[in-house]
Amino acid sequence: MKKLLKNDALQFLSLSVVITLFIYALDVSKGMIIAKTVYLTFFEVLDIIIAVSIFIGLFQVWVKPPTIVKWLGKGSGLKGFILVCTFPILMGGSLFTVFPLLKTLREKGARQGAIASFITAWGGKAPLLPLETKFLGWPFALVRLSFIILFAFVMGILMDWVVEKPTKLV
Amino acid sequence: MNYMRAGHIYLIIAVVMLGISFFKERQKTKEALKATLKIFYTIIPVLVFVFVLMGLIQAYVSSKTIASILGQKSGILGILYAELVGCIALFMPPAVFPFGGYLHDNGASYGSIAGFVFTAILIGITTLPLEIKFLGKRFTVARNIFTFVLAFFTALLMEVILR
Repeated sequence: MKKLLKNDALQFLSLSVVITLFIYALDVSKGMIIAKTVYLTFFEVLDIIIAVSIFIGLFQVWVKPPTIVKWLGKGSGLKGFILVCTFPILMGGSLFTVFPLLKTLREKGARQGAIASFITAWGGKAPLLPLETKFLGWPFALVRLSFIILFAFVMGILMDWVVEKPTKLV
Repeated sequence: MNYMRAGHIYLIIAVVMLGISFFKERQKTKEALKATLKIFYTIIPVLVFVFVLMGLIQAYVSSKTIASILGQKSGILGILYAELVGCIALFMPPAVFPFGGYLHDNGASYGSIAGFVFTAILIGITTLPLEIKFLGKRFTVARNIFTFVLAFFTALLMEVILR
């Protein structure tokens, strides 16, 4: 896994360099536009990225998956459902990291709807708020965060209705 | 008054939290720092790649074109286009917001941006096989379809509220 990540990193970086050099060779001024965009945006976000990485790192260490599973339980009942629609907003990581955790939740008896709500709420991405507000502003970020809870709620209800039932609807 | 970048405030908060963590448990804080470094190294290359993409669009696509495809006038279709882009975009979540902000600066509507952000984070062609493996085919198909549809309505609502 670690090797894979490193390769990924290298791939993205080399691809970036190749594209920029290619455009530069085609048209110097356009190549400069790309280089300038990368340079300016990079230093604009560097401090935010460092802060965000620290937030996510701390969260990962202090709130381990078993703790999350314990807190959320089956995600059943109104309280569990509300928790499943809100708590994951605080989590970082990518879908690659949440699927294994959700499998555990599922094995503990969580309903399909709760799992789907969890994924949706996880899309809230509160640890990235510094980035979101910088590029899209506080109104957008706050409205999006509130709507993601509603989104997660409806998602859970729909998924329970369609997937959880033994009768095949899909 | 001294002007302070928002980024600096976040950094200070992060360092204070690290301090509290260190005070409570050293070993865990060490682990957290290791995780932080790993996250940082994973995010940066993807971000650089997305910035190159932004530069490419800057160099070859006019703001007018972006606005005509994803702007307020293109309305519902704009949101759908943006959602489709989000579905196939291979971005990690941290890269989604700079790209979204860039599109917005060039005339894309809030609704389109919201559609893009939702699907870019919640639907990934690359994660589909993994989702099927961990959560099943039925679940995966239903969740991705519902996400696309609900993202559309949520984005529409956001467009109405934020415009």
